[in-house]
Amino acid sequence: MTTIWNATFISELLLSMIRMATPILIVAIAELYSEKAGLVNIGLDGIMAFGSLVGFLVSYITGNPYLGLFAGAFGGIAINMVYAVCTIQLGAEQIVYGMAINIFAPAIASFIYKIYFGISSSLISAQLMKPLPIPVLSHIPYVGDVLFNHTPIVYLAYLLVPLTYVFFNKTRAGLNYTAVGEYPKAAESLGINVIRTKYIASIICGFLAGLGGAYLTTCYISTYSDGVVSGRGFIALSAVIFGRWAPGGVLLAALLFGFTDALQLRLQVLNSGMPYQLLAMIPYLCTLFVLAFFGIKKAGPKANGKPYFKEER
Amino acid sequence: MEAFLKMENITKKFGEVSANKNINFSVAAGEVHTLLGENGAGKSTLMNILMGLYQPTAGQIYLRGEPVRIDSPSKAVKLGLGMVHQHFMLVEAMTVFENIILGVSKDHAVFIKKDRMKKEILALAARYSLDVEIDKPITEISVGAQQRVEILKALYRGAELLILDEPTAALTDLEVEGLFRIIRKLKKENKSVVFISHKMREVLEISDRITILRTGETVKTLKKEEADADGLANLMIGKELVLSDYKKVASSKEKVVSLNGVCYQKSSKHSGLNDVSLEVGKGEIVGIAGVDGNGQSQLAQLLTGVIGPESGEVFVKAERISKYAPEAFIMKNVAHIPEDRNKMGLIGNMTVTENLMLKRLKSDEISYGKGAFLRRRAMKQSAEKLKDKYDIRCASTEQETRNLSGGNQQKIILARELEENPDLLVAVHPTRGLDIGATQYVHDAMIASRDKGCGVVLISADFDEVLKLSDRIAVMFEGRIVGIYPGENPPIRDISLAMAGKVE
Repeated sequence: MTTIWNATFISELLLSMIRMATPILIVAIAELYSEKAGLVNIGLDGIMAFGSLVGFLVSYITGNPYLGLFAGAFGGIAINMVYAVCTIQLGAEQIVYGMAINIFAPAIASFIYKIYFGISSSLISAQLMKPLPIPVLSHIPYVGDVLFNHTPIVYLAYLLVPLTYVFFNKTRAGLNYTAVGEYPKAAESLGINVIRTKYIASIICGFLAGLGGAYLTTCYISTYSDGVVSGRGFIALSAVIFGRWAPGGVLLAALLFGFTDALQLRLQVLNSGMPYQLLAMIPYLCTLFVLAFFGIKKAGPKANGKPYFKEER
Repeated sequence: MEAFLKMENITKKFGEVSANKNINFSVAAGEVHTLLGENGAGKSTLMNILMGLYQPTAGQIYLRGEPVRIDSPSKAVKLGLGMVHQHFMLVEAMTVFENIILGVSKDHAVFIKKDRMKKEILALAARYSLDVEIDKPITEISVGAQQRVEILKALYRGAELLILDEPTAALTDLEVEGLFRIIRKLKKENKSVVFISHKMREVLEISDRITILRTGETVKTLKKEEADADGLANLMIGKELVLSDYKKVASSKEKVVSLNGVCYQKSSKHSGLNDVSLEVGKGEIVGIAGVDGNGQSQLAQLLTGVIGPESGEVFVKAERISKYAPEAFIMKNVAHIPEDRNKMGLIGNMTVTENLMLKRLKSDEISYGKGAFLRRRAMKQSAEKLKDKYDIRCASTEQETRNLSGGNQQKIILARELEENPDLLVAVHPTRGLDIGATQYVHDAMIASRDKGCGVVLISADFDEVLKLSDRIAVMFEGRIVGIYPGENPPIRDISLAMAGKVE
């Protein structure tokens, strides 16, 4: 057993961690943009499911996984607009509509899949995106392979972290955006268009969550099946809380969840006689644990989850 | 003088209710114009219209002689209007600096040019002697400082007219002086100020002109020289205000409630009770004086059964209480005017009728089978009667209470609690946040129920209120009752000392 813990194993584990963390990171950042504008969107899982179907379908038809990714992202926007109109325009309860998305979106994805491919037991697979090693950097021993030998979308995901940090902390638009989630009435009185900001937040959230879903079917596994998302949307949701609504924190949280996911897969392969179902539980248990200990103290945007009405007295 | 701002025949309706009816109002450059009126007179609504937060149902606004349509707050800001809201519009999670620059874009820079902007802000602050610590988070500065940030925020946006909505409500006397210095400075720089308040002394000190609003309409506009406090008060409430002096009565032998050595979280000085003994007789008002947070809330909760004592005994009408639950106290005919009417007194999303009936749901008058089925029509009739009797001003008894003014909300509570002729009334800050007329009404109602034989415990942080109403005055300090004084010719100096914990 001890011989397993050698350099190759560890570098494979880390490589896998980065890959596993990617969809969680993208979707957690989607949620971050949503919550910073005061919209708690628990429908991430649903948006991801729809994004993964659209991504797969387009990539299958065109043979181009890049097109698939983008189509998935736009599919995500389309689904999230349902949530946006209901919660922003009509002031509906955000949790309820998030849940509705979670029920509705995977079902519609499954429906479209069955219409297109019919009901068959054979798995249809599409072209997977190829890794794009970064010249020079990817040849650094150990580190190179772990960090610089991925699909472009992975680099993009990690690039989102500093970009988001700069946006929220250094730019005027980011400051105004934050104010909408903290105190919309004050923001409105300062001439910030609260409704528009919330819609922008929903578009960003839909785009990124759809992208995260499409990543699963265009970069990770080459096929679509119901339940392909397997709760990653919820894990991303908890990554935002665990990461204390800060991009750096969210990155660490996503890496932690990615690590547990990678670890449980490795442990399954090792076949230690433990039922694989128990091992597969690890990431979810980890989420549960994290939420139980870090979810207590409310630290997010102040007006998070509250509907905003312009003329309310 | 050329008017900087003119509002003509402004009307605003919220559903059925007109918050503003044909209001005319104008401000000249370099003028301080006060809007005076009771709560719910329509001052805030008018100003929210001016700031583009509400759209008027009818009417026209002119700025510098030009007709304008202010359809959004950003438009108002562009036109040179700035408002300091009564509840500050500051984002607590941000610093003073961030709050000031929020939403502004003079240039179209993407990144925040911290150093340059800070310099600008500090220069502006120095010019108007607005003392602010620019890098501190909002949560770490005092209320007075937050207000200065709000003023600075408006000036930074280039405000030519500044609306100050009840700016002195949360300030200490010293801070009010500071604010007035700032207002005079603004005047000197030819800025216009709309000052909203109902404190006569301040209004007379700072205004050039005063416009009085009542129930959404303009009553009159006066020059400062023509105004005096009594006259303004009468115009404001629409009738001659007779300040009543209530007669004090002697304590009765018959006790409605007695506390005997009651303790509750004794070690906590600010939220506990330490060996409290107190008796309240039939038909007397016992005022509890003291600085807020010396156990008064706990005393009120104990007297209404929300909490039970850890040791000691409570007798209501000579019966020892064994079960501490609000219902048990209600059964013993104890009424309660809670300290926070929105959180404890009323259910905001329920209608006036429902709130009025809450305590009587089991009575045969409004239900069948002890509350199993409600008789809606009987409820409504009963509510209509109470509405007239207690002068509750609402569009309909089917209106949700959360939209009513504080005074009317308090009247609903009074109607519910006093209608049953209680034996004991526990009134906590009964007039907090109410205007003169409503305060008077609440006081009269309390005295009336005292005269009917109700024992009243009045807990108030307003010392004048305690002095005015109480037949006996008990002083609380750090969870203990440190002294009981007569209400007739009270030894004010001794009481003040006792409130600070100094008892000889």
